[in-house]
Amino acid sequence: MAMTIDVERVEGNPSVAVVSLDGELDASNYERAIEAVRTAYAGGARGLVFDLSNLGFMASSGLFALHSALRIMRGDTPPDPEGGWGALHEMAADHDATAANVRLASPQEPISRVLERTGMSRLFGIDESRDEAIAALQGA
Amino acid sequence: MTPESTPDLTEPEPDGERRRLRVPAGVDQLAEVRSFVRTAGADFGGSQRAADDLVQAVDEAACNVMVHGYRGSPGELEIEAALRDGRIEISVLDRGPTFDPTAAPSPDLTHAPVPPRPGGMGLGIHLLRTMADEVRHHDRPGGGNVLTLVRSIDQPREEEA
Repeated sequence: MAMTIDVERVEGNPSVAVVSLDGELDASNYERAIEAVRTAYAGGARGLVFDLSNLGFMASSGLFALHSALRIMRGDTPPDPEGGWGALHEMAADHDATAANVRLASPQEPISRVLERTGMSRLFGIDESRDEAIAALQGA
Repeated sequence: MTPESTPDLTEPEPDGERRRLRVPAGVDQLAEVRSFVRTAGADFGGSQRAADDLVQAVDEAACNVMVHGYRGSPGELEIEAALRDGRIEISVLDRGPTFDPTAAPSPDLTHAPVPPRPGGMGLGIHLLRTMADEVRHHDRPGGGNVLTLVRSIDQPREEEA
């Protein structure tokens, strides 16, 4: 199944990009998700919501994309995929602080399970809907 | 090469049918691999959750072979599905360098999650090991690997009952 990515901007403070991932996020397309976040950040978005309501599958490469998004939204250089496990591991302590400006909206059950089993759920605010996620970011 | 006649599996015969999918070793084939596993999981009577777990585990295993086993060079994967003793067994067969993910170290998840190198070591292997009830590796006759992921079919989930 292909994945489509839709990006919507919600103006406010901060300006939020809602990135909807529709389909299955895997090793063949995770780079597109990262690129969408990079473009949104370059365009001024300072809050990010991944709308996962129509995402049926997320591979470990998708987790990598989520993590890259977290770094992009913090203004960091995203980790180099070729940097390897060791280099990334050294950064890990830095990520105990959660990403205050990246939230995940309505993940389906298989994806929630993957987030839980890998500990990635600790990094992101998770909301039941995209509107709740936007409100959490913009303090509405 | 006589691919069909090579006795790759020395396991006892499965309870019922055995299915096989053959795909080129490219990440654009992963969707087809997942579809095959999902269908087999359902047809063999697996719960939704069992099928989801197997899809996750097999995707990680197949991706690992494609990205790190064949390293972009042409190759082929075979995915075999069988039901044996009430458990679904999915085997990933390749002709790449020997690699046993059951022997790889586990990532340290006690402090903070470590992002995986896409398609590779770390969380992917952690996922494939935790999503399956059992993971077995053996060398494939003639070269390569046979990685078998086993998952019980589960009782139906409440919402399906």
